[in-house]
Amino acid sequence: MTDFEAIIKVLDVQKVSYIVVGGMAAIIHGSSRLTLDFDIVYDRSKENLGKLVKALAPSNPYLRGIPPGLPFEWSVKTLELGLNFTLTTSLGPIDLLGEITAGGGYQELIPKSVEVELFGYRCKALDLPTLIKVKRAVARPKDLDILSELESLLGEEE
Amino acid sequence: MKENSKKTPVSFPKNPLIEHYKKNVDMSLLRENLKLTPTERVKNLMALQKMAEELKKAGKKLRGEE
Repeated sequence: MTDFEAIIKVLDVQKVSYIVVGGMAAIIHGSSRLTLDFDIVYDRSKENLGKLVKALAPSNPYLRGIPPGLPFEWSVKTLELGLNFTLTTSLGPIDLLGEITAGGGYQELIPKSVEVELFGYRCKALDLPTLIKVKRAVARPKDLDILSELESLLGEEE
Repeated sequence: MKENSKKTPVSFPKNPLIEHYKKNVDMSLLRENLKLTPTERVKNLMALQKMAEELKKAGKKLRGEE
């Protein structure tokens, strides 16, 4: 089971700048679909990368889906060299996204986010119209199904 | 929820596949979810994950894989 509370706590303690996206953002907006991972768009500033590395280091991040034992250094340098990282951690699967299709990066997404309180911590989540826009742009079969729910939720909001 | 963006009515062009899936959306379930706080929604998700893991284990046991 993904320990969402613990993930949010470690990110909050280090004051990491991020926006919750994907299935978890859908849950925040009222979706009933099961999701297993915690997807975030993170600020790519060097200072924030340092905070992110510090926050997740105790949960032993490792690239998901690659054989164990291959060299993977959890560091600012590694994050600088890549953009999107799908990680397995002791707290559960976490996807770190430098940017998302039809949405862009952290700075571009700030005006398209809402502030929510989760387990007593303030954090940002992608707003519902932008979440729909992004999922429409990706349009995998599973997204079309989730979109039916998200668009229905948007109808309830208005 | 505190909005960072100005709330303006949003509409998207109709997609026939999404419209088809909408027929199966359980609106009563969504309305119940909307009565909950975001934290309660995430707690429900964690309970659902736990149940899914238990069902997976039970299935493996039933097939003699465990």
